[in-house]
This record gives sequence, C-alpha cells and structure tokens, in this order.
Amino acid sequence: MTTRRGARPYRLTRRQMIGSGVAGGAALAMLGGSGRLPGLTLNHAAAQEQTALRFWVPPGSPLYCEVQQEIAADYAALDQSIRFEEVQCLPGETDDYFQAILAAIAAGNPPDGMVIWDTPVSLGARDALVAIDDLMAASEHSQVEKWPEGLLASCQYEGQTYGLPVTAGLYGLWYNPNLLEEKGIPSGRESLPKTWQELRDLSKEFTVWDGDRLVSAGFVPNNGDFGAFELPIWSALNGGQLYDAANQTYTIDSETNIEMMDFMVSWIDEEYKGDIALVRSSAGWGGYVTEDGLPPAFQAGNQAMLQQGSWLMGDFAAEVEPVFDNWNIGDHPVGPSGESSVSGFWPNWMAIPAGAANPEAVFGYMDYMSAVGVEKWFNAIPDIPTNADAPAVLPQGVVESRGEEFAQEIMAFWDTQAEMSTAMWTSPVQGFANDRLGQAVERILTKAAAPAEELAAAQADCQAELESLLGDQG
Amino acid sequence: MATMAMRRTAVSPLRRQESRAGLIFILPWLVSLLVFTTYPVLATFYLSFTEYNILQPPSWIGLENYQTIFTEDPAFWKAVRNSAVYALVSVPLKLVIAFGLAMLLNMGVRGIGVYRTVFYLPTLVPPIAATIIFLLLFSPAGGPINSILGWLGIRGPDWFNDPNWAMPALIVLGVWPLGVETLAFLAGLKEIPQDLLDAAAVDGAQGWQRLRHVILPLISPVILFNLVIGVIYSFQVFTQALVIGGFNGEPLESTLMFLVLIYRNAFRYFSMGYAAALSVILFLAVLALTLLIFRSSRAWVHYEGGQR
Repeated sequence: MTTRRGARPYRLTRRQMIGSGVAGGAALAMLGGSGRLPGLTLNHAAAQEQTALRFWVPPGSPLYCEVQQEIAADYAALDQSIRFEEVQCLPGETDDYFQAILAAIAAGNPPDGMVIWDTPVSLGARDALVAIDDLMAASEHSQVEKWPEGLLASCQYEGQTYGLPVTAGLYGLWYNPNLLEEKGIPSGRESLPKTWQELRDLSKEFTVWDGDRLVSAGFVPNNGDFGAFELPIWSALNGGQLYDAANQTYTIDSETNIEMMDFMVSWIDEEYKGDIALVRSSAGWGGYVTEDGLPPAFQAGNQAMLQQGSWLMGDFAAEVEPVFDNWNIGDHPVGPSGESSVSGFWPNWMAIPAGAANPEAVFGYMDYMSAVGVEKWFNAIPDIPTNADAPAVLPQGVVESRGEEFAQEIMAFWDTQAEMSTAMWTSPVQGFANDRLGQAVERILTKAAAPAEELAAAQADCQAELESLLGDQG
Repeated sequence: MATMAMRRTAVSPLRRQESRAGLIFILPWLVSLLVFTTYPVLATFYLSFTEYNILQPPSWIGLENYQTIFTEDPAFWKAVRNSAVYALVSVPLKLVIAFGLAMLLNMGVRGIGVYRTVFYLPTLVPPIAATIIFLLLFSPAGGPINSILGWLGIRGPDWFNDPNWAMPALIVLGVWPLGVETLAFLAGLKEIPQDLLDAAAVDGAQGWQRLRHVILPLISPVILFNLVIGVIYSFQVFTQALVIGGFNGEPLESTLMFLVLIYRNAFRYFSMGYAAALSVILFLAVLALTLLIFRSSRAWVHYEGGQR
C-alpha cells in the first residue's frame, strides 16, 4: 500500500532531509510534550467556541516541520473559528508515519488532516480517506479545474477525489551546459537531444572509462539506479503506460514497455560494458551522494545530463561543492515509439483521514494551503505549488546564485512540466507495484532476467494483487 | 469428599496466605503474558485464516492465505531458501567459532578478563549500529575489507550490492556478536572436572582425543542449548536484513529473510492476514526443527549421571 519515498531510492536522493527528519521529529515531539504544540494554540479565551484541529505531517527535515507549523499558525490567525491543537511532524521514516496514520484511523482517533507522501488512491481505495469532491466544489481555490489534470489524477479513484496535490517535485532532464559546449553543442535547452537515440548518441561523447571505473558519462539510464518511481515517465515517453487507471488494468508487459527495457539494456551493453554494477560502483549518477558514500558525478563536472526532480534546485550544493553553478533543465527526450515529451511528479498530498472529526474545518486549511500557504512552504523548501491560484514564487537560492531572470525562467519551465505530466501514482496497489517493478527492473538491468519475461512476471503479480484488492471490494 | 476435606485441611492458612501473596506478586507478569503474548499468538492463528487490512474488520477466508503462500508467492520460497541458507551456514559457524573462543578464554593467560570483555562487547552493540558499521567495513568505496583485499591484489566485491556476496556478508554480520554463545561454552568448560581431564591425560589421551572423548561429550548439553537458540534466532534475522536489503531483500532478493517478508506484508502492504499465515508457518517450522533437534539430542547429548 505504501510507496517507497522513505525507502532506499528516496534516501539516495533526499536522504539529508529524511535523515534529519528523525531528529527533527523527535525534537518536535519533545517540544510538544504530550504531542501538542502550545505555541500554535491561539486565542485561548475563545478556545471553547473554536474548532480544534489536529494535523499530521510526514517526517521531514526540522525546517520542513517548522514551516508547516508556521503556516498553520498563519491560518489560525486568519480564521478565528479554528485553532490547531497540534501540528505534529511525526518522527521516524515515511513507512513509520504511514503505519501511525493507519493505526490512528483503525483506532478511531485519526488527525483531522495530514500531509502524505503516499498516493491518496491506495488509501482511498481502502476507505481510509474522506472523499472531498463536494468540499472542493464549494471551495475558493480547490475546484477540479484549478489543478493540473495529471497531478489531480493521483488523487482520484473510481470517480472520487481523496486528496489535493498541493505541491510537487517535478522531473526534468538536468544538464551541465559547460560540458555540452565543450562538445560544440549550444547550451540552450532547445539543443538537448529530442529522442532517446539522440540522447544515447550524445551520451557516448562523454563516456570515459579507467579500467572498470566509469570516470565520466553523458547520461546513465535512469541514473544507474532504475527505481520504479520514474518508470511511468519513461514508459509514457515511449508512448506507453504501466497502469491503465480507467480500466483498472496493468500494462507492464506491453510492447512499448518491453521495447523501452530492451533499449536500456542495449544501451548499457553498448556504452557501459554491459555491467550496471560497474557504473554504480564508480560514482553517484543521480545528483546525490550514494549510500556507499560515492560523490555525485554531476556536480563534479563528470556527468553531462541526468534525470532528477525539481528538489535538486535546493540540494544542488547541499552535499558537495559543485564545480559549476550554471546548471539547466530541459524536456525529457522521446522514446522510439513515443510522440511527445512528458514529465512526471512526486507530490506532497494533503488528505483527510476516514473518521476525522472536522473535515470541513480542515478542508478550509487545505484550501488555504493550496493557494496561500504554499508560498511560505516553497520559500523554505522548493516543492513547487501546483494550484492555479498559488502565487508566482521564485526559489530564493536560485535567485541568489543565478539571478531573478533565470529563476523566473526555470519556474516557468516547471509550470510547463506540471501541465505535461503523465498520470502517475494512480494505482490502488501502488506500493506493491513500486516494489515489484523495482525488482523487475533490477533483474533486467543486472541480466538476471530478460525484459519480456520479467515484465510479464511483474505484470502477472501486479495484476493479481490489484484483482485481489478489487475482489475484496466487490 | 473425605479426600477433598483432607486436602482442604492439609493446606494451612499461612500456606494459603503465601499462595495468595505469590499469586498477587506474579499477577502483573501473568496479565502481561496473557495480554501481550498469549492473546497475540492466538489472534495470529485466527487472523491467518482471514483477510485483514487493519482498516476493515477481518473477513474469514479459510485456507486461502496458506494456499497463496505455497502456490502463488515466489517471494515465500525465496525467503525460505535465504533463511535456510543463513541458518545452515551461520549456526554451525557460530557454534564452532564460539567454542574455539571459549577454549581460548578458558586458558589461564594474563589479562583474560579483558579478552572476555572484548569478545562479549559485540553482543551489546545494537543491531542497527552493527549493521551500519558492517556497511562501512564492506563498502566498495574505501571500506577496510576491500582495501585489505586490494593490498593483497584481490579486487573485492561490491558486497551488499552483489547478489552473490550479500548473503555471505550478512552471515558474517550475524556471526560477529557471539558473546552469549561463548559465555555459555565457557561456563560449560569451567564445569568440566579437572580430574577427568587429568585421568584422560594419564591414560595417554592427547589434545584432540581429550577434546573428542572428554570435553565435547561433557559440554554437549551446552552445545544443544546453543544450537536450539541459534536455530531459533537464525530464523528471526530482521533488523540487519532490512537495513541492508530493504523490503525487497536487495540485491535481487538475496537478503530477503523470512521475517522481512512477514514485515513487508504486514506493515507495507497491510495484508495482516497473509502476514499472520506466514508467521504461523514460521512458528510451526521452527517448532518442528526444535523438536527434531531435541529428538536427535538423545543420540549425542550426554548428561551428568548418564541421564538424557
């Protein structure tokens, strides 16, 4: 049921945030004493007439937790009819948080609202969330048309909406303009490869081996650590999909997906000695220090391009000192069977758990967060607001390092990516599927299985899990 | 009736008072046993026959979970295989090394107390910390193990990322904390009467013969204890496997241990009924193994006074 944001691949990319989240969450829990944060309780005299809200936030960094509390305090100051009894950033990792939520729902004592890093679809499908369509229709900022279609699809199941994708990390093709220029390629994003084949051809220009160590690379297929999170984007780039939400059917072993994996395997064979392990043991190819402590090749000027999320804007110089700062981002190239570029996303969803005491009151806060509170959120952590009413925001770090004009331009780029995002996170068995697909891709890349055979096995497993859930509901 | 009356009168008021006091004293433990052990065990058996996702009440599905486990879940057989390999290799290895260490610690050399402490220390290291230490030790990026292998001209593997090497590394990690086993052996060795060893020496028994015919038979009850405990624990490897391989037992399910499989189904997919069925299978398997060991012990465990 859960996704793996807090698990291995996520720690690779945003582990600093998660790592500090444990300490931060614990500190906040201590601050809160019995789980309540006195600093957030407003208007004590009028407390009896006010609706007391309890709001939970996943285990992020101390800064993330702090800003959530500030936004809640801002809202409570605006709306005198509510007060926040607690805004609790729970300790632990994402899976611990998820367990705490389910336990609270099962025990009949859930918070009124929460931020989740797991798709609302899988929770909604199990009656763990409140459907919010009526609340959205009557709201100021949260009507259906105020959200990018692809993003809102991650909250919709069987005609009902179970959450709001208030902010999102969006994926793009990050590149080092200096390296491209060294090869005589103009640094503008319009010069980037438009197809996978062009990407592969260009990538070869940068590949340098020293024995079995990959010293530099152009682009390593999915950063050498082909997790399942980005797979829907690559599938869509090749004209396919992994899960057909409308028909509640997995399509993992479709021809376009087999073609996709065949392409990746042949690329690794041709450019990377057919051994993904050698690639992985040479450097970090995802823009972050790896779990084994290998520094990121991109920031070291040894990798021309990589696929990564918008959160790298904030993290670009967080772990290592980059040798360049004029990074840029472009569209994903299109696969052999694809027609146009797409993007993908990883939202922070807000949702109301089943059994919440004050759904209307907390939805007011969610509505406020979507269009107003996100500005403060973004200023602290550059997760991109997705609601149409959200103010235009600029990442301060980028403004300081690259100037306002570039920051505006890059935010406009992310807006475009949000609009062209493919549907993701739409399966009610998303957690299971992510795990299974991750296994499948790993088996394919390490040559433990052939693409067609392994994708067929994954298809059978995911479909069986899905049908088991649907059968239970039926 | 007469017998009952006699029994009643046979228990003195003081005895009854003491019994009541004793009962009151053990009551907290008894309640705890019933609530936190007996009930969960019984609930596990019941839930194993249900579909249960925490949010909705469990629904009875009979043997479906068991059928799925044995016929449709390849991860189950993978976890069984991994756990069996782990147990088959780590338990004997641990017994041999712990026994060897105990023999060394039983020698009357100077500073023996320090050695005993040093060898016991790993047992006190929390599993998470130990695992992280081993991840660093085995790291392909400048880890000491691969550095030493490099000096010897050997290219060390990418231990925890290579499906062929992850399990051996996990076994080494499991064998590392053997303080408890060593202490048990040491206690057994201390109990061996010196005159028996002397008599064997007078009869011409050399070191190996004394070990084979005197020491091993006399400490065979300790071997049995360590073996049973070792087998039970070896099927309960969890923290180390989860930290190293995550929910999927990476790389390529090579570290997917049985308990990780249970945890994954229970707390990641929230298939509590399925996880309960896996738990029951594990319980029965460990029980069967333990009974088998006890049955076999009649042939190789020697108790003082000839009792077996």
